[in-house]
Amino acid sequence: MPILTQIHANKENTMKKILLLIALGLSLYAGISKGDKAVDFDLKSLDQSKSFKQTDFKGEVVLLNLWASWCSGCKEEMPEFFKLQKEYKSGFKIVAVSIDKNADDSQKFLKSLEDEMGYETPFVTIHDGKKMLPKAYGAVAMPSSYLIDKNGVVRLVIVGSLSNKDIQELKQEIDKLK
Amino acid sequence: MHYIALIALLLLSGCSDALVRVMPYEKEYFAQDKMSLSPLDERAEQEGHIFLIREASAGGDSSFQGGCGCR
Repeated sequence: MPILTQIHANKENTMKKILLLIALGLSLYAGISKGDKAVDFDLKSLDQSKSFKQTDFKGEVVLLNLWASWCSGCKEEMPEFFKLQKEYKSGFKIVAVSIDKNADDSQKFLKSLEDEMGYETPFVTIHDGKKMLPKAYGAVAMPSSYLIDKNGVVRLVIVGSLSNKDIQELKQEIDKLK
Repeated sequence: MHYIALIALLLLSGCSDALVRVMPYEKEYFAQDKMSLSPLDERAEQEGHIFLIREASAGGDSSFQGGCGCR
């Protein structure tokens, strides 16, 4: 091989290596996106009475919502989740994961909402005080929600709070996956 | 080889303490009322009063007897 061609080939190889390294580096910062497997967890309910795993919800469409009592956007959308879960008797579950350090703060907020809505919290509530799930999902906003299909694959990543109109669109997605 | 070392160094610098990024889910304490610059209306008024005095402007905003700093 002529020397000039060899130098050119070496440079190309180096460039490829650099690009690969950058891609690897960037992948370290990336969170869960559409098509990825949902993160498995083993966490307790808000009242610490039950344990839940991601696999417990296999066969059901799940809306995993990351929220906190100190997050105003999270509190705004919560009444919509109460109504949404009431509409689906089976095949769809909302799993609200509170990342409050103190579970009592979340319970106090949900209690006040229950009084306002006139019924008990209709969905699963989980406590993640160590913020394991937002870290694993790479949540870029609070609240963040993930629509997970029956096989545990993330089908939709929702950044920020959902309005009534967004909920209507979400319902279409849920019906498709059910 | 030099390029790879340089890129690796750049990526590793992301792990340094100087580049701490507070993620949205870590803002529990920032969301508290006491973290706002003026958590109380009364305090905001007082702060405004002191600011105007320090800036040597006449009057004391909405507070009475402003200007000299004495109340």
